[in-house]
Amino acid sequence: MTKYIINRFLQLVLVFFIFLVSSYLLFNAMPGDAFTSLLLNPQLPPDAYEKTIALYGLDKPLSERVILYVQNFFKGDLGYSYRYYPKSPIELIAERLPRTLMLFALVNITSVYLGFVVGKILAWRRGTKSETWLTLTSVFSYTVFYPWFALLMLWFFGYKMGWFPIGKFLYPEKWYDAPFDSDVIFMLMIKFTTIATIIQFISYVFTRKIESLNTRRNARVASLFLIFVGGYIFWNTGDALLKKPYAADIAYHMILPTLVVTVLAFAGTALLTRTTMMEVLKEDYIQTARAKGLSQKRIRDRHAARTALLPVVTSFIFTIVTIIDGSVLTEQIFSWPGMGQLLLQSVLNEDIPVAMAAFSFVGIFALIGHFVADISYAYLDPRIRIKSQG
Amino acid sequence: MDNSLNEKEIQKRVRKEAIKRNWLLFRQSTLGMIGISIIFFFFILAILQPILFMTGVWDEGVYHPVVGYEELKVNLLVVECPDEYPTQKYESVGDCPGDGEITQRQIYNPNINPEVGDIHESLLQPSPPSSRHLLGTDSLGRDIFSQIMEGSQVAFILGLMSAIIGVSISTLLGTIAAFYGGRVDAYLMRQSDLVLMLPSLPFLFIVSAFAELKIWHLAVVLGMIGGLGGSVITIKSQALQVKVKPFVDSARITGGSNMKIIFSHILPNVAPLALLFMVFSVTGAIASESTLSFLGLLNIEMSWGIMIYLSQTDGYIFSGMAYWWLILPAGLAVTFLSGGFYLVGRGLDDVFNPRLRKR
Repeated sequence: MTKYIINRFLQLVLVFFIFLVSSYLLFNAMPGDAFTSLLLNPQLPPDAYEKTIALYGLDKPLSERVILYVQNFFKGDLGYSYRYYPKSPIELIAERLPRTLMLFALVNITSVYLGFVVGKILAWRRGTKSETWLTLTSVFSYTVFYPWFALLMLWFFGYKMGWFPIGKFLYPEKWYDAPFDSDVIFMLMIKFTTIATIIQFISYVFTRKIESLNTRRNARVASLFLIFVGGYIFWNTGDALLKKPYAADIAYHMILPTLVVTVLAFAGTALLTRTTMMEVLKEDYIQTARAKGLSQKRIRDRHAARTALLPVVTSFIFTIVTIIDGSVLTEQIFSWPGMGQLLLQSVLNEDIPVAMAAFSFVGIFALIGHFVADISYAYLDPRIRIKSQG
Repeated sequence: MDNSLNEKEIQKRVRKEAIKRNWLLFRQSTLGMIGISIIFFFFILAILQPILFMTGVWDEGVYHPVVGYEELKVNLLVVECPDEYPTQKYESVGDCPGDGEITQRQIYNPNINPEVGDIHESLLQPSPPSSRHLLGTDSLGRDIFSQIMEGSQVAFILGLMSAIIGVSISTLLGTIAAFYGGRVDAYLMRQSDLVLMLPSLPFLFIVSAFAELKIWHLAVVLGMIGGLGGSVITIKSQALQVKVKPFVDSARITGGSNMKIIFSHILPNVAPLALLFMVFSVTGAIASESTLSFLGLLNIEMSWGIMIYLSQTDGYIFSGMAYWWLILPAGLAVTFLSGGFYLVGRGLDDVFNPRLRKR
């Protein structure tokens, strides 16, 4: 297992180098010598021009420039934004990354979990009249043109019903005299969510072995309850009490994007889980389990669903990039000022240093996600686990 | 001579029967048939437009999706809105001016000064659906139905082209990787790992923002991304299964060259899977094109994505269902066509490879 992880990690590093170099070449191949011509922007002070030329080695041959770029990247020295001049791309990204992480993590956890549960139930109720209709609905939700659907939801819930705010991630008027940066709140919220998720995950792992289904469910509900109580105490004491209204403001803005993306994203997982579950249900050991007289729910949850989980994780590995793509669009539509919006705007404004840095960071994001999914896949699939041990 | 002719005839018959059998299998899948009929519907739309223009049923000046224009006028009663609500006529601020009415302030033309109670003749843009314009016109007076037709031409051209490019690349590479193995295989697999990890939408943003993409370019780019990515891995694993079949060995023993074995023995057996990938990748290509057009990044004149982009930038999306013909047709067209291809893919999935895991 360790060998496998190390192997994958080395591959990851190699792939990242290739990614970095090829993304530089991509930007370099832009017509019209984009770097220098855009530097003539009159809003930039003259020293920025010289600094950028020196930093990127724009007067040197291509091979040296590439090496210089990679070196600079690891030094964290990425020049200056053309648009927000005194700021560096790293500062801009550091400001926006927490916002993306927060939304991204929340949306994906909910949608994958929900998709798995729904797919499980869909497969179990196979043959009922509603099956074709349910599948059609899932297909609709899977192939619906996402920006269009999101805008319609935004119109309906945000404008017509007025339940949720339209766009942005906070009400600026609430934050005029706020003693904190929004990023401080974001970091706190991320910490809170992470800890809560870890607790729930641990409770899942520990309760896996419990035989009685009722006890197991009760244990899980109890841990969820514990998290709620803990969260309530956490947000009502000391430092966090001051930050609570601001955190609530952000959370309120997060509801609609999460809802919309979950409704759309769960369908893919649900359809896949349904297919694999139906194949698993044909296996002999399911017959055996039925013959033993086990309860339906136990067969579904403990015998079939666990095997069906594997392909779902595989597909998650394949689609993790798609999810990142989706989050870029989500941010654009809900005016959520995160990484995706930064990337899109910098590309549209031809702010090359920021675009390069943002693209590289999105790449890192994808690589790490891929890596984690790969490792967890190896952990889940006994064939890989045993092969790498032997 | 006689013998080879016979062989060809037998091949032909076998192929015919295989197609017939597969079609029978495919027809059993309800979802697949729904998909086929959706695709057929849009195909009719796509070829109907040029026919209508050529036969002169539609005048290009009026119905052209990009430059067509028709002046539709409507008579409005000039009214004055009260300062306080509710009054006898109006319940709240939102009710004034009502249907068929206009206030003096809303007439932007300084040359005319209508009194209250006059009839004002105003341009009707966007105009609601009528017998002349089946789905109404947009804010520039262009026919929406014609735009939908144009959009389906774009979607078909782009989707099929990029799918064909992508699938030919991935089938070829996958077969080569399986056949030669060793270093070629390792290199090709690492390459598709890399492409698989490429965040494709940001990548497309960058490419399309700096280079002016036309449909043709976009099809090539999408085809390359799709063709070098994960499908190579799946096709390789299928080709590996074919490679160990006895007929490949016998072809090698009878002295078939590598090229001959790859092209006439392995490729035909991988083809069903490739077809499946092709159908699924059409879905992705249509969605990508619409997304990029929706963000205003493509240099094309008309597509479903651009229609949604226009209705958003003109602010009609937040006007709700009052202007439904600007909002619903384009979005539903994208959804249904890519859904149609997806359903056909699932139907084919049942036919060729019941155990294949693909979504």
